[in-house]
Amino acid sequence: MASSTTEEAKPKPRLIVRLGIFLASHHILFSALCCTAGIIALLFLPSLAKNTYLSENALIPGSANTLFSTEDILEANRFLKGIEAATGESRGGTDMPKFISQEIKNLGAEVHYHEFLPDRKCFHPLKFFTSMTNNMAVKPNGTYTNFGINIAGIIRAPRGDGKEAIVLVTPYNSQGDQSNELLSLALGFSVFSLLSRATWLAKDIVWLSADSQFGEYAAVSAWLNQYHNPMFLSDPVILDTKMYGTNRNLYEHDDTTEKAELMTFKRAGTMAAALIFKVGETRKYNDRDSVTMYAEASNGQMPNLDLLNVVHYLAVHRQGFHVNIETFSSLLSSSWLKVIAEVFQNVGSVLRKINPDWKLDVNVPDYVEGTANLANSMYNQALGVPTGSHGAFRDYQVDAVSLEFAPAFNLKNENAKFSFLLRGGRLTEGVVRSVNNLLEKFHQSFFLYFLTAPSKFISVGVYMIPFALFLAPLPIVAAALAGDSKTKGKLVDECKTKDIVGDLEIGGESWKWLKSARVLLVIQIWAALVSLLPYYISQIPGAMPTQYAVIWAVLSIVILIILYGMFGSPYHAGVEWRLLKATMITSITIGMGLMSIINFATAQLGALILIPMCLFSRPLKAQLEMNFLPRIILFISNILLTVLGFPPAALLVMKCLSKGLWTVDIGDFWLWMEFLWEWSSATYLYVFLVHLPCWLLCIHVLLHPCLQPESKMKQE
Amino acid sequence: MAIRYYWSMAVAAVGFRLALVLFGGDLQLASRPEVSTPLTSIRRLAEGYWLKQASMSPYSGSMYHGSPLLLSVLGPLTNKRSVGHHNHIYCSLIFVAVDFIAAMLIRATGRILQIARNRSLKSLELTEAVSNSVDVSAGDIASLIYLWNPWAIVTCVGSCTSPIENLMVVVMIYGACSRLAPLAAFGYVMATHLSLYPAILVVPIILLLGYGPDTPPRKVYCLKSSSASKSDVSDNDKSFSSRDVQQFSWTPVFYFILWMLFWTCYVLLLSRLVLNKVGDLQEMFEKTYGFILTVKDLSPNIGVLWYFFAEVFDFFRSFFLIVFNMNIAFMVLPLAIRLKHRPCFLAFVYTAIVAMLKSYPSVGDSALYLGLLGLFANELAEMQFTFFLFFGYIGVSLLSPVMHNLWIWRGTGNANFYFATGLAYTCLQTVLVVESVSSMIKHDRKLRLLVTA
Repeated sequence: MASSTTEEAKPKPRLIVRLGIFLASHHILFSALCCTAGIIALLFLPSLAKNTYLSENALIPGSANTLFSTEDILEANRFLKGIEAATGESRGGTDMPKFISQEIKNLGAEVHYHEFLPDRKCFHPLKFFTSMTNNMAVKPNGTYTNFGINIAGIIRAPRGDGKEAIVLVTPYNSQGDQSNELLSLALGFSVFSLLSRATWLAKDIVWLSADSQFGEYAAVSAWLNQYHNPMFLSDPVILDTKMYGTNRNLYEHDDTTEKAELMTFKRAGTMAAALIFKVGETRKYNDRDSVTMYAEASNGQMPNLDLLNVVHYLAVHRQGFHVNIETFSSLLSSSWLKVIAEVFQNVGSVLRKINPDWKLDVNVPDYVEGTANLANSMYNQALGVPTGSHGAFRDYQVDAVSLEFAPAFNLKNENAKFSFLLRGGRLTEGVVRSVNNLLEKFHQSFFLYFLTAPSKFISVGVYMIPFALFLAPLPIVAAALAGDSKTKGKLVDECKTKDIVGDLEIGGESWKWLKSARVLLVIQIWAALVSLLPYYISQIPGAMPTQYAVIWAVLSIVILIILYGMFGSPYHAGVEWRLLKATMITSITIGMGLMSIINFATAQLGALILIPMCLFSRPLKAQLEMNFLPRIILFISNILLTVLGFPPAALLVMKCLSKGLWTVDIGDFWLWMEFLWEWSSATYLYVFLVHLPCWLLCIHVLLHPCLQPESKMKQE
Repeated sequence: MAIRYYWSMAVAAVGFRLALVLFGGDLQLASRPEVSTPLTSIRRLAEGYWLKQASMSPYSGSMYHGSPLLLSVLGPLTNKRSVGHHNHIYCSLIFVAVDFIAAMLIRATGRILQIARNRSLKSLELTEAVSNSVDVSAGDIASLIYLWNPWAIVTCVGSCTSPIENLMVVVMIYGACSRLAPLAAFGYVMATHLSLYPAILVVPIILLLGYGPDTPPRKVYCLKSSSASKSDVSDNDKSFSSRDVQQFSWTPVFYFILWMLFWTCYVLLLSRLVLNKVGDLQEMFEKTYGFILTVKDLSPNIGVLWYFFAEVFDFFRSFFLIVFNMNIAFMVLPLAIRLKHRPCFLAFVYTAIVAMLKSYPSVGDSALYLGLLGLFANELAEMQFTFFLFFGYIGVSLLSPVMHNLWIWRGTGNANFYFATGLAYTCLQTVLVVESVSSMIKHDRKLRLLVTA
């Protein structure tokens, strides 16, 4: 009876199962194909960029005539002269805020000061993940003499209900008087004065002059923090005197009621959008004034594309600016990129002959420029550090963009200045007017995109194709490896007992992976500890970055040894390398999948190194059985990828490629990591919780002794 | 084969919980939708307690939906604060103890099951064939899984009342396994009182009390006895079968029913006393059982019902309420028929199904059935897809907070993102249930083949 059931012909498995088995049996070919396709698709991205378009119909940019006129420029000039005089009187004093607040008050708008302390840089790697509204205001002990002053003016909209607001931000430095900054203040003021007379406003306008002596971001984020998290401590004036000491000359002539009035934090409604603008250095782009857009906020978040579209549309088609975005200029002149561009142009033209709808044949300069812009866009998103103070807005889900105006001529020339101010003012007014028309939050257009040109973008549906191609072989390979080890075990069993009862034996075959999961667990615990170490190391006072880095490295190794002592070294447990590799690949699939949701660009760039490293890894001892040529290729690629996969080494190579300097300084790694955690970038977590453990597991696979199965055989 | 370092690992788990509770600061775990549900949230309990102290019904408004007994036990603790710790530290400390007791009871249950298993294997003369290949102390494994399960830890540290619900279910199973009818009835009544769904566990409890713990199916014994009678012709084969195959004994079941009635009256009386002057039992039933059955709170959780009822048209709502609630009831009978010889395993399957289909699921429910799964480590040694399931569970539990963050805080995702992880989670649980049941059935078949071979 037993034999009849065992010999019973097994029914044919279902199609999807057979397909899975087919893929698993050809997993090497499949993964090679997928990775190649992924790289090609990545290189095709600049050709696949689409032109931007306005999705939200309510915006209707440029449909109304601009009201910004000569009068407003005269106003700006008057403001400029006044503020120059004010700064001239007292250097580094408090006359500038006073002057600005007086001017705002003269317009009939509300005004208040916001004082803040520079943010102390803390180690909070998970901050990006918890809600941004939870950070409490800094509670200082003792008095501080050095603090920043933001001035915020608010216009209440004549046609609005005060529930929404548009924020304009102009950074200035209260400790210095650079003519650019004063000019941007003047520009901001003239737009603000125009808006204070506008009858069409439906949203409140907040004009924030952000004190950038501790950096623009710190000023704006401190103001936003207080805007969204009211402090219910005590009377603001008392608090203020407690915090900053009483001997202040900012209000020495004012009486207390006015002082209280100025210090009371005032609010408008929910922010619909924010526009940060400043005047930069003179730059020449074929005789046109230019605007540079900065949009990347923390962790690869971007403002809604519609906001960028409005700015771009008005700047190019109404005011005749030359709009550009940040780019890697070194890529623009690289010859290898040109070769690739030519190849892709030829391929594209062939494809176009096949189907005229495939418009992939971009010409060489466009491709090169697109690649340089795309690379920069990806790099900024992957770094996870905002490129300007607009990042602070995005933390509160407010769409914001920074504009840096660069005049084409020297601004000492009155005519040039006149036309520059006119265009800049009209652009700002136009954007405000468009956003003013909005009935809902920005939601129509994309949030997830890369920019390849100011008016070209790659949306999420397109740019995830290369990543998906990279990720696709991982589950297949993991399944193949796990299945492989299982059949091997079965074979051994069958050799052992050839009777029928052997087939009925109950063994823990399907739980064998638990050992490798334990290795993974130990390594993940190690990685978590290593990622937390800087919190303690950075509290050692007065050491050099190199020393910090050395302490970090030594402690990491010590912890690893201790953990191995506690839980047993991975080779003692007799983990099969196939299962170890399967576990590594599965963990990397989960890690990459998560990271692609948190910050896509990081996952994409990390996948380029990590996934080939994982797929290629094979124990060096097991390689001995192979033929000479594949063995050498495998060996070299293993070594190369493993070196590249080690984060400090990768950083060194990146630095050397960008700067051409081959100097080894381990302190750089510390500085780089410090930069990441200070900005609470998710990239830091990626490096230490996904990348580093995977690298260590890879090393384990490479150095695996491969003894276990053979010794088992011998025993039998 | 007992587990080395069992006690040090168990103590380490408790120490880890204590360290998180005492020094973890405010981890904000209680606000995670995966951890706390409207039924188990301690914040709501504190609110209910406050209302009761203010001489109002704890059920007024729509904050509290738990039992009045919890109010009087845990309520006073929610008021106490200690500086530098999170708000409900005393409750968390109690939950640490509760978790430990539950783990110990699971271990004791495992011991009983182990003894029963060894006895039945011995009577089938299969001890050598089966026990040599896999023989682990299932109770130790199960209690360690329960103690070290990250979800159990998170639920315990996040101060939700689910550890108490889990404890009651474990008490019930332990009582039934050791044939203590009063204890089993107490656990049953309390678990049902706290979260209603354990009511369906009455089937495995009665089977446990009637037949005793898990054994191979009766057919195996019959085959054994027939083969034995074939081999050595003796006329006492009838006594052989009656000695090994447990007959259904009605006495403990009768006691169980009596005790159940007693405990029910007692619990209702206590609830009435707690609610004295501020509410009545009818309101309690409406606000607890009614709230569970009519899915009134549609705030997101890891289940699938909130999304469905947020989308469904109002005039279909009652229809689908019936469908979803019957869904659980439909599974009771077929499973009971198929697995009647393994009542403990049946209880595990029921808890898993309830955790999957209940209206406000949380990871605490999953922690319970994953712990119970460990009790069958020997039988499920051949289970398939374990690698996939393990990493699937890890993946989903990491993905869920990320998706929630994307939807709620960043605004770049939407509800579908979060719901997708809920779907994936439900699929994983389905695969787990299907695979465990099928491998258990396979195990029984293997025993049969071994007997006849």
